[in-house]
Amino acid sequence: MCSTLPRRAHQWLAVCCLLATAVEAAEAEKPRNDRELAAKLADLSLDQLMNVQVNTVYAAARHEQRVCEAPAAVSIITAADIRRYGYRTLADIVASVPGCYSTYDRNYHHLGVRGFSRPGDYDSRVLVLVDGHRVNDNIYDSPPIGTYGIPDVALIERVEVIRGPGSALYGSNALLGVVNVVTKRGKDLQGAELAAEAASFGTGKARLTLGTRIGSEGDALFSASAYDSAGPRSLYYREYDDPATNHGVARNCDDDRYGNVFAALTLGEVTLQAAYVSREKGIPTAAWETRFNDRRTRTTDERGYLDLKWQRDLTEHLNVQARLYYDYAGYAGQYAYEDDGGGVLVSRERTRDQWWGAELVFRHTFADPPFDRHHLAWGVEYRDNFEQALWGRDSDVYLDERSRSTVCAVFLQDEIRILRNLTLIAGVRHDQYSTFGGTTNPRVSLIYHPFAGTTLKALYGRAFRAPNAYEMHYHDNGYSQKANPSLQPETIDTFELVLEQRLTEHLRLAASAFAYSMQDIVTQQVDPADDLLVFQNAGGARARGVEAELAGNWPSGLRGRLGYAFVRAEDEETGERLVNSPAHLARLNVSVPLVRDRLFASAELQYTSRRRTVADAHVAGFCVANFTLYARNLFKGLDASLSVYNLFDKRYADPGSTEHLQEALEQDGRTFRLQLTKRF
Amino acid sequence: MAGQANGPLLAGEATEREYAIKAAFLYHFASYVTWPPGAPMGAGKALVIGVLGADPFGAMLDELAKAKSVDGRQVVVRRFHTVDDCTPCHILFISASEAERLGPVLQKLGGSPTLLAADTQTAAARGVHVNFFIESNKVRFEVNAGAAQRAGLKISSKLLRLARIVEPGMGGS
Repeated sequence: MCSTLPRRAHQWLAVCCLLATAVEAAEAEKPRNDRELAAKLADLSLDQLMNVQVNTVYAAARHEQRVCEAPAAVSIITAADIRRYGYRTLADIVASVPGCYSTYDRNYHHLGVRGFSRPGDYDSRVLVLVDGHRVNDNIYDSPPIGTYGIPDVALIERVEVIRGPGSALYGSNALLGVVNVVTKRGKDLQGAELAAEAASFGTGKARLTLGTRIGSEGDALFSASAYDSAGPRSLYYREYDDPATNHGVARNCDDDRYGNVFAALTLGEVTLQAAYVSREKGIPTAAWETRFNDRRTRTTDERGYLDLKWQRDLTEHLNVQARLYYDYAGYAGQYAYEDDGGGVLVSRERTRDQWWGAELVFRHTFADPPFDRHHLAWGVEYRDNFEQALWGRDSDVYLDERSRSTVCAVFLQDEIRILRNLTLIAGVRHDQYSTFGGTTNPRVSLIYHPFAGTTLKALYGRAFRAPNAYEMHYHDNGYSQKANPSLQPETIDTFELVLEQRLTEHLRLAASAFAYSMQDIVTQQVDPADDLLVFQNAGGARARGVEAELAGNWPSGLRGRLGYAFVRAEDEETGERLVNSPAHLARLNVSVPLVRDRLFASAELQYTSRRRTVADAHVAGFCVANFTLYARNLFKGLDASLSVYNLFDKRYADPGSTEHLQEALEQDGRTFRLQLTKRF
Repeated sequence: MAGQANGPLLAGEATEREYAIKAAFLYHFASYVTWPPGAPMGAGKALVIGVLGADPFGAMLDELAKAKSVDGRQVVVRRFHTVDDCTPCHILFISASEAERLGPVLQKLGGSPTLLAADTQTAAARGVHVNFFIESNKVRFEVNAGAAQRAGLKISSKLLRLARIVEPGMGGS
């Protein structure tokens, strides 16, 4: 324990520095900018005022509210951030938030939150929503976040990153956080937008987006993108440095291509959304003991959905929202193996996953005492995973499992204004699964505004993840892995304190301290009885940590964020730090308008401390800088942006997983991207 | 994102200046409301905007008053601790700090020719004329046209078109 003392001193130092900078900036900024802002606002017309944005969050409590009123630590990344910092994927966006990071194994991107991101897992402990629609699939629980993503990042209006447990509102997967992607409306565009980009490694992308308002209440948006990347011509892995495996050089094995379509139509109270993405990726790492330097080893993932939403104020005090949806997810993997005769055997795996569901949510407010202090939300949800198919074949079919499962849920949440400046938000949700039975998850939070501009939040929540179809039903016919249909859900209990302080009109500080304990983690283990791999409710983890973020946003167009997170996440039994769990994460984002409203220079620094690897070694800590120059309205509706990622060509690596021979997987050096967008 | 060159506020940037925006709205309302001729504030003189309770606007209302006149009239900002302190205003913003006492406040002011504004849930349904709310990250407002009409105020149709109507007025305006 003694060795942690200097570390703590570090944290305090960091927090003090943040505060000092903040106060200094506050003194300098305040009087001049109120006047500037007033002058600016005074010139706006009523219609223009209707379009100015404020900082709100939807997904924290399932209705639009100010960030300081939300029952969680919330970070918001906006379309402006995405443009200015040149974010390419949802993984890029989330990783810019305190306490969050992403790792890339050259097949998929993986999210880490609060020190938890086990290699080999498929991001099943973060729930991702697109306009409230759950996009984690139903076999691996995996959300599309990397180049395999929904929707295109150019269509994102804002991303709400809500850290902490969310199962009391959303059910499974919301263990470490909920990420809600809010998409743009057609009226934000009013016309067409054509975008083209070129980037390192023979990468090209094109996008067409059309949007329009329809009458006073209607809106339509359509967008399609295509992306193709040849990938680095060669990747070197010293673990394969042998004449038999091309001296460790994988040639042209890292290709990546995707196409996606997104459409939304709103007519009055009804919104229909359709989304589809298909992505094919070559695997250059020879994962799962496949043949090194073989282009045949690759995965294709598809994800699509139709979502019909209806929303209406039944009375002044009663709002109803109904949703009906159909979802599809498909995966096809092909893996090239050397067979015993010296030939090559291509083994194939497929999953196909379809489900439909419906939800109904009511929100009540009340005019008369004593109930006028309450804001009640309750709802029911039903989901039918009518197809969950796993299929695999090498020389013979070794896997052919079909299952079906259903889940019914009911939830209730009450926001009670106890005092003028004190609100209690209490919620509970029960999920009944056809597989393992029922689980009930509460969340309670107290939100206190002692002074104007200061918010204190105290939170407790329990969340769960239902074992998924892959964990319950995957096997390879007794060769190395067997199924376990009797898995139980894993759970997490989280305690958290949050302080949000508005320092000036333009500067905000948010800090939180949290502790969580995860139980019954579904973990792949070897069954001593038959030496087969099997998923079991075996692991426990606990973590304690702090996160702080200072965010500034000035009328001149200058904006910046400074974030720091410390976490000690460890195995409950051994007390060892978890694999792929950096103790320190620091983020610095600064965006400077070089020419007012027209030209922005934005820089991002991301520090990740060293991480333990699967084989109990470490990958070194690293600091990566990204830089984007963004010109707006360069010429008649033409925007241009030039990004340099990993500006200083830093060599760094993410930990490999159990399926990799590599201890560490080296990431890209310096890369470029040029993007042109034209509005018509 | 339409490319209007009206500064960063319109560049689709999320801001935290919610109350600055609401303050600007209050100024605009003055141009879209007609007060009855016999109103105690008098015609032609300064336009009075009052804030009842804890002032969430900071210096913004005052800065706007310096920066802008409304239809050639100067703007005066007044602040009141309690409803009993209130002197006649053209527009009175009832702060969230008074939400608990909204009943008595409305009883006292409901009949006077003052445009009552607030930003608390259900305020419009209870008789406040204009109530701000946030929707899709933007400031919106609802109008209780019936209550405004009963107070002798005429709200222009342009403003009503932008609002969510809670209780329609009689015969339209």
